[in-house]
Formats: sequence, structure tokens, C-alpha cells
Amino acid sequence: MVVRSPEELAKERLERIIRAIELKEPDRVPIGGLSGEIILSYGGITWYDLCFELTDKTKEAVVKFVRDFPSDFPPLISAPYGLEGFILALAFADFPDFSNSIRFLIGPVHDIIKDKWTRWPGRELGVNYHPQFLGGEFMKPEEYKNLIVNPVEFVHQKILPRACPGLGKPGTPQWNGAWIRVGMTLQRVSQFQMELLLEMSKLGYPVFPITSAYAPADIIGDFLRHPTGALLDIRRYPDDFKAACEALVDPILKVATAIPPTPPLSLFFIPLHLNEMLSPKLYNEFYWPYLKEVIVSLVSKGYKGFVFFEGDHTPHLDTILELPKGWGIAYFEKTDIRRAKEVLEGHSCVMGGIPVSLLVSGTPRKIEEYVKKLLEEVKPGGGIILAPDIGAGIPRETPVENIKALINAVEKYGRY
Amino acid sequence: MVMKDKTTLEELINSFANLEEEKTLNLVKELLKTQDPMVIIEACRKATTIIGEKFERGEYFLSELVFAGEIFKKVMELVLPRLKKRAKPIGTIVLGTVQGDIHDIGKNIFKVFAEASGFKVIDLGVDVPPEKFVEAVKKYNPDIVGLSGLLTLAFESMKKTVEALKHAGLRENVKVIIGGGRVNENVKEYVGADAWADNASKGVRLCKELLGIK
Repeated sequence: MVVRSPEELAKERLERIIRAIELKEPDRVPIGGLSGEIILSYGGITWYDLCFELTDKTKEAVVKFVRDFPSDFPPLISAPYGLEGFILALAFADFPDFSNSIRFLIGPVHDIIKDKWTRWPGRELGVNYHPQFLGGEFMKPEEYKNLIVNPVEFVHQKILPRACPGLGKPGTPQWNGAWIRVGMTLQRVSQFQMELLLEMSKLGYPVFPITSAYAPADIIGDFLRHPTGALLDIRRYPDDFKAACEALVDPILKVATAIPPTPPLSLFFIPLHLNEMLSPKLYNEFYWPYLKEVIVSLVSKGYKGFVFFEGDHTPHLDTILELPKGWGIAYFEKTDIRRAKEVLEGHSCVMGGIPVSLLVSGTPRKIEEYVKKLLEEVKPGGGIILAPDIGAGIPRETPVENIKALINAVEKYGRY
Repeated sequence: MVMKDKTTLEELINSFANLEEEKTLNLVKELLKTQDPMVIIEACRKATTIIGEKFERGEYFLSELVFAGEIFKKVMELVLPRLKKRAKPIGTIVLGTVQGDIHDIGKNIFKVFAEASGFKVIDLGVDVPPEKFVEAVKKYNPDIVGLSGLLTLAFESMKKTVEALKHAGLRENVKVIIGGGRVNENVKEYVGADAWADNASKGVRLCKELLGIK
């Protein structure tokens, strides 16, 4: 076997992803999304460590996993672990120099702002529990009009003080002090992440910019009204809901474009949340038009999309065809990847397809058979990236030989 | 019952099943003038059954279930104060999101639909440790224990909860149903439950089946 340098390896992997996105056949089907709780059990650290301890031990645990289980796509899980926090980036949408770097809510920032959106191991939860996004209701339906007039100001002045008791009131010493602490924390975090990134690139992982965007309706569901509230508002205040989504498009784009697109590849990541809960009628009226506006705008600026279609997106699959051909990667969770590939053939790169339940309870032989059969169906024509079908990743009790079997099977049957 | 009221009841079932909130509430107000509140609740139960069927057929989505739950809550706000005595529940469910998991959207919808079907539901909330379930089973003597959870780690907690019920000698007295977006037959086997449901409507249907209620 030819030993390749990390640079060669990274180039090869990046090329593989780019060709998949461009709907061409690469040298072999790329594999990604190998991450999750397994990193903890394999590396001997706790959820608390991954969320709060910016130490060599944490770094080594992550590096050990990505070294022993190589894939093409840089792992989505990172240290420190982040939960949804796009609302913070939105509050600072006018500060492109740092808005994007507070897009994920991390434990050390939670410690300062004491937000009510999230719960953390070693804080509200046991040290070995997954950090969790809870959301909540922080806006009354009557306040849609204020949100619509100036979303950034409204979030900053009204939502943050309500949802983050640690910040106190805007303009007070507590408020100012808390943000200075957040800044100091982010500096510490970004240094840690740079070190981690360096380790990754030494292992031949491609490094490319990934910026963040969001579905406007999910801002409302996740951070302002709780998903239940958002679903009721769609019925009761349909015009307000739509106007709010429209008003959110610009600030979302501001945050996303804070990281400029650089060739050969810059992705924007959007995780969808309300999608699965909506009927096609409601999806097409209240969710999709605004999400589409965000995606189309970013693609026209030179980014490629990386959209996680949470849950079962089958009823809405056709709408993806409204995007420009080759717009990016559609990562599916419960949607059948074969069906998705069929619908989106020659239009979108699809990602997913490996059932996490198979990784946990299958055997290496079963996994090899599954991958072989799956690839026979979805490999031809390119435009496919294999990955576990749960965004939250691979559970801790997964036998490591099963992950190896998956990687080997893709190597064996994924070549073009 | 006069003919007019009978038509109004039919109208109530239809408007509720079609999720017309205002019309439904107006009809309830009108019917309350002449009807036994129990008759109105019975009509709403029929409507929620229709809604559940529409959901399982793929005509309705979670957005519709959530809205239906909200309408049912509002109906009950109107009806309950007029109710002289509560009907005997068709069964009792002790419900909670298991330890380590704090997701509750699915659990809450299940609760409303179970109540709409005539179950008494004791909701223990989220992040409920096994011993709390055991305590609640001792205290309320339910027919069913409903374990909810979204995260994969919840499967482990569900298993522990079932084991704790066994250890306390209570497992034989209750049926255990697990619910959540990622549960399936394999998870049911792993956990040692009697049934699984990945949506609220199916959950309520299975609870009735577990108790032999048509």
C-alpha cells in the first residue's frame, strides 16, 4: 500500500466530497458522520469532559477516535460540544467578526449566560448524560410585530434578558461583564479548537470553512415560541408568522456570510427541526419558502449547502428539486436514502443511509452485506455520501468492530 | 335528545376533526346550554379518534395533532366546570420521560390524546429516575406505564426502569409501553416492554389494545 502524506490524503478526501456534491462519480463513495457518544466510551472521557474540559485528555480522546476510524468528512461532533445557539449569533448579526463563532451554545458559555434553552452534563444533568436542547417560550404571540420590525434588536433587547438570567438587564454592569467573560471564554475555546484542527489536518482530514445558517421558522420554534407554540401560531397568527420568517432571512444571511466563501469548498450548515412536524401544506406555506430563500441566496454567493433534514422528510422530498442543481448535500435522518436518491438523482447530493440500530446490534458480516447491497443501489451516478442515519451520532455501546466493518465495506464496495 | 342537538353533535365531531377551532368552541358553548357535558366529551372523543386515524393514514401530521390537543384542552376548560361527576376512566397510565432525557413534546401530545380517549394520566414529567416510576406505580396502581424518550441514551434508562419495576415485584401488574421518535421493535425487545409507538396516536391505540378496549 502506498503511504500518503496528510496533505495528499486531505486533498484526496476533499476531492471526493466535492465530486459527490457536483454529482459526479469520485474515486469511491465518501463516508462521513462518524462521531457521537462512541468518542467518549472509546476515548475514556465523560460527556462533562467533552463539554467543559478543554484539556489534552479531551483533545486526545477526539483525536484517538478520528485516527482509528478514518473517514472523508471531518467529524460533526467537536470539542467542546455545541448545542443549538443560533439565536446568539443572530443577536450579534451586525458583528461579522465574531457572530458566527457564537453560533453554537457551549457549556462554558452556558455557565456565564445561564440560558434556559439548554441543559448540560455536570450542571443540570449527570456527568455522563448527553447535553440537551430544551428550548422554551420566551416571546408572546403579541410580540411578533416587534420581532418583525427589527429582529436583531428585539432578540438582543427582549429575548436574551428573558432567556439568559446570567446576563441581567442590557446595559447593566452584570450584562457588560457577562459578555466580556463570554469573549474571554471564546478566545480560550477557539485556541483549543485550533489545536484540535491542527491535529485533524495532521491526520489528513480536509480543512475547509463551514459557516452556519438556519431555517427562519426554526428560529421561532427553537428559541422564541417552543415548537408547540410555533405550530399553534401557524394556525392562529399565520400572517405574523410568515412576516417574522421573512424578516429573519436577512439577519440569518448576515451571520452566514460573516465567513466569506473560499474556493474550492465552503459549506453552510443548516439543521432543520420543524420540517418533520409539518404537513406538506403547512411546510410549503410557512417553512420552505423562507428556508429556500436562505439556501438559494447562499448558493448564489458561492457556498454549497449542508442541510440536515431531521426526522422523516419523505413528504417534502420533492420541494428540494426547486433548489438549483448541485446546490449541496442533503443529509437525511429517517428518510429512506434509496427513495431520496431516486427523487434527487442528478440534482442533489444525498447523505446518510447507515442505520445506527444496525451499527449497535449488527455484526461485521451483516454490516458488510448491508453496505454491499445498499451501494449496489445508490452508488451508480455519484452524488452520494454514506453516513449514520442519526445526527446525534453513534451510541456508546456500539461494538468498535462494527464501525471498522463499515469503513472497510465502503472501501471494498464503494470504488468506482 | 332533540333532533337539532343531534345534528349539532355531528357538526361538533366534524368541525373538531377538521380542526376548526372557533366553530368547535362555539358549538360546545351552544350544546352546553341543553346537553349533559358527558355527551359533549363523548363527541370530542369520537373526533380525536378520527384525528388519530387521519394521522396514521398520513393525512395529518404532528402539526395537526398539536393543534387538536390544544382545541381539546380548550373544550375541556368549557366543559369541566359543568361536569357534576367525572366518568370512570377506562384505565390509568403513569407517564414520564425517562432519566437523562428531557424531551417532552411527544409525551405531552400523547398525554392529551390519552386523556381525550378516557384514560387517567399521571404525568411524572421529564428526567424521571426508575425509582420515581416505582413509587408512582405503588401509589397509583396504574394499568399502564408509559416510558417516553427521544435520545438513544433513553433506551438504557427505559431498560433500567423496567428492571426496577421487576425488582419491586410490580412488573406483572402493569403493561409497559415505550414511546419516542426512534423506538422500534428492537428497542422494545431490548428494554423488555410490552409495546412501542413512535407517535402519540399509535401510542393511545396500543394502550387501548393492551387493556383489551375496543
